[in-house]
Amino acid sequence: MQFHTIIEPFRIHSVQTIHFPDEREREKSLRRVGYNLFGLHSDEVIIDLLTDSGTGAMSSSQWAGMMDGDESYAGSRSFYRFEAAVRELTGLPEVVPTHQGRAAERILFSETLSEGDVVPNNTHFDTTRANIEYQGAEARDLVISEGLEPSTPHPFKGNMDVDALEALIDEVGADRVPLVMMTITNNTGGGQPVSLGNLRAVREVCARFDIPFFLDACRFAENAWFIKLREEGYADRTPTEIAREIFSLVDGCTFSAKKDGLANIGGFVAMRDAELASSCRNLLILTEGFPTYGGLAGYDLEAIAIGLHEVLDEDYLRYRIRSTAYLAEKADAAGVPIVQPPGGHAVYIDAKALLPQIPPKQYPAQALAVELYRTGGVRGVEIGSVMFGEVQPDGTETPASMELVRLAIPRRTYTQSHIDFVAEIIIEVAGHADKIRGYRIVQQAPWLRHFTARFEPVES
Amino acid sequence: MTRSWAEPFKIKMVEPIRMTTREHREQAIQEAGYNTFLLRSEDVYVDLLTDSGTSAMSDYQWAGLMVGDEAYAGSRSFYHLVEAVREVYGYEELIPTHQGRGAEHILSQLLIKPGDTVPGNMYFTTTRFHQEHAGGTFADVIIDEAHDPADIHPFKGNVDLDKLAALIDRVGADRIPYFSLETNVNMAGGQPVSMANLKATYELCRLHGIMVLLDATRALENAWFIKQREGGYEDRSVAEILREICSHSDGATVSSKKDNLVNIGGFLALRDPELAREARALLVAFEGLHTYGGMAGRDLEALARGIEEMVASDDHVRARVGQVEYLGNRLIKVGIPIVLPIGGHGVFLDAQKILRHLGQDQFPAQALTAELYLESGVRGMERGVVSAGRDPATGDHHRPKLELVRLAIPRRVYTQAHMDVVAESVMAVHENREAVRGLRFTHEPATLRFFQARFEPIP
Repeated sequence: MQFHTIIEPFRIHSVQTIHFPDEREREKSLRRVGYNLFGLHSDEVIIDLLTDSGTGAMSSSQWAGMMDGDESYAGSRSFYRFEAAVRELTGLPEVVPTHQGRAAERILFSETLSEGDVVPNNTHFDTTRANIEYQGAEARDLVISEGLEPSTPHPFKGNMDVDALEALIDEVGADRVPLVMMTITNNTGGGQPVSLGNLRAVREVCARFDIPFFLDACRFAENAWFIKLREEGYADRTPTEIAREIFSLVDGCTFSAKKDGLANIGGFVAMRDAELASSCRNLLILTEGFPTYGGLAGYDLEAIAIGLHEVLDEDYLRYRIRSTAYLAEKADAAGVPIVQPPGGHAVYIDAKALLPQIPPKQYPAQALAVELYRTGGVRGVEIGSVMFGEVQPDGTETPASMELVRLAIPRRTYTQSHIDFVAEIIIEVAGHADKIRGYRIVQQAPWLRHFTARFEPVES
Repeated sequence: MTRSWAEPFKIKMVEPIRMTTREHREQAIQEAGYNTFLLRSEDVYVDLLTDSGTSAMSDYQWAGLMVGDEAYAGSRSFYHLVEAVREVYGYEELIPTHQGRGAEHILSQLLIKPGDTVPGNMYFTTTRFHQEHAGGTFADVIIDEAHDPADIHPFKGNVDLDKLAALIDRVGADRIPYFSLETNVNMAGGQPVSMANLKATYELCRLHGIMVLLDATRALENAWFIKQREGGYEDRSVAEILREICSHSDGATVSSKKDNLVNIGGFLALRDPELAREARALLVAFEGLHTYGGMAGRDLEALARGIEEMVASDDHVRARVGQVEYLGNRLIKVGIPIVLPIGGHGVFLDAQKILRHLGQDQFPAQALTAELYLESGVRGMERGVVSAGRDPATGDHHRPKLELVRLAIPRRVYTQAHMDVVAESVMAVHENREAVRGLRFTHEPATLRFFQARFEPIP
């Protein structure tokens, strides 16, 4: 018997109250935070789709694991459980825990990059780019051209342009490319998956030039599920088998456990090279913690070990990807332009297409994100020229290639009625899109400005 | 007459531990390269490696874990923590970090320029490393008494103001970005700084335009000693004393895994909003967004509650320090040399005196630590020449005057009976001390070597 509706493969064990600020309160909040949604207190938000990072609901088994966590500073049994879980999943023998993903990136890049190096990726995420640039190296995005066209459907829009990768290596020389990164799924490009075929092709280029190949594996399970659905020959394979095949192609990975680790904090960097691991551990001790806890409590190590197992459950992944597509379909049906096909963890609204009256230098995606909050208390995040615009020496800005608002869906947190509510707000905002005005920045930090910048509406 | 104290709590949740055989331990310590850091916790009976992050949280804190708000930006739990730090420590600007070294990392990167000198009252391993990593040099200006384990000065953590003044004269105030003032000095044996000394240090630094930043990790325990030992503070609460300690500073780094009774977390707290803004720009690259700083929302909540709980009354810290003194006094009674006066967070065995037959290059404290584990499964930590590392200029060992084994006591975890087991183990090792052999490196890491070094007994 086959039913149409895919229900959550869990029931709710513990709940958290949502507050409902009214329109007047929301307007007041917007002014206080300078129209930057990162500045809102969580009590001011009705549905929080700012990020799917660290915002998921843990399972009762994970909470039980927290109770069983071993807080020993050195040699904690929770660490060995964590290490075994990571090894079993990835086949990577060296596992270095960190407090979260960006610390894993910082440690890996500190130990591998020199000034003037170039790191290719399908698309670098904001913290990845910041950590590479902090080392004086250059972050180069080489996603296939379809990945930059929101409305063009392609089953694996996160794929890397392999010819472009070879051209880049030719251009700068293999010795200036200390590693090749791939982000799965490709977050900045819309949560789009990468195919195993593409990973193999990149692996082949890396092998030819003897360049280590690393994954930013934050959403590996969602990527594995897309491979199962879309790549020939994988329909009958389990997500676990597919994930293992993905990891078998690489020399290492960074991982934020706040996504597909189903945890609220944590991360790791794992690799095959024991010598590199040893130098990573030295830096780990300095900035994160001893190698058997890496800046995490014992209870967190325990929760991640369990989460890595739960995330590969087929029922979970079917529900997860389906519930994201559900929101996308509702928006699409109402004629709202979104990145197609919808990604794994979020729906990305194409602000450039929805708000053609706002030029990129007036941040259309920021304007749309603000309007979604103003209209219905829904908090998304701008992924456009505020986050990725490059300020030139003369003060002008080169805009980002896409102007998107990401509505990231926390794992196992919101129900279908919450999502129905969000869809109504999107449709309401799209209905008065022509009245929305742009913004200008009145205050900003030298890097990662999107977190703390302040804005003002541009007068019409 | 001294009256007994009792823990101001009862036990709500337990975790099994197991006793091992001598044979098992022999194999375990050999596999760990005679370095207790490399032992698995399941092979340890009573774990006194550190008091950092090993505390038992209260039911109120565990409930806080459930209430924690995991919003990425603007979490309710963050604002609770801001309030708690303002109320208890008195600093306006809070920058949360995943633990203390995250705060040290940001502070050092923010303030130290290559060629600067950072004075302090005795080094701490990770603190000094961050200062050197940022291009600075650490200068020790603690009073001389701190280096003598037998001296019973009540405030062995005090700053020697003459040394500090001479240093300022020598290098110039503009090459001193800040004074790093540690409360309850860890490497000196958990020894406190007096309020009068804190005040005088702050005044001298202010005169020269130098900031004072506390390492306030164990400031609560320091406050307790001030109450016990410094005139005029007998009737003040530790909460009041703690706030007064912080009033003599421009900010602080705190590893919350100690006084604050949590398993993870830390913060940098400042008065200057401009400096705080700069710190937050680094925070977002290294740690996390400024409203979570690398901690889960639940950890922010447990920390806020831990901070409130530690000063809710004097009972907590009385029992805490009382337990350390109980163990120390049992050892003193049978003539085992330990650092005096007994410190706030642990008992420090004087390895140089116990193992007189070993020279410092045979790592007496490391050898004693390994021997204690072998005897009974009690895990301590070397705090001597191995921890001190090498001088980057000469390549020779830093040779600290103190060669200690630290038995750090986790907060609210072990009972008096556990302390009795520890005391008896130390006595047994002391009895057979002449049989203990020295150690030599088989693997020596370049930095912070004590964490991962491996040894073998000298034949």
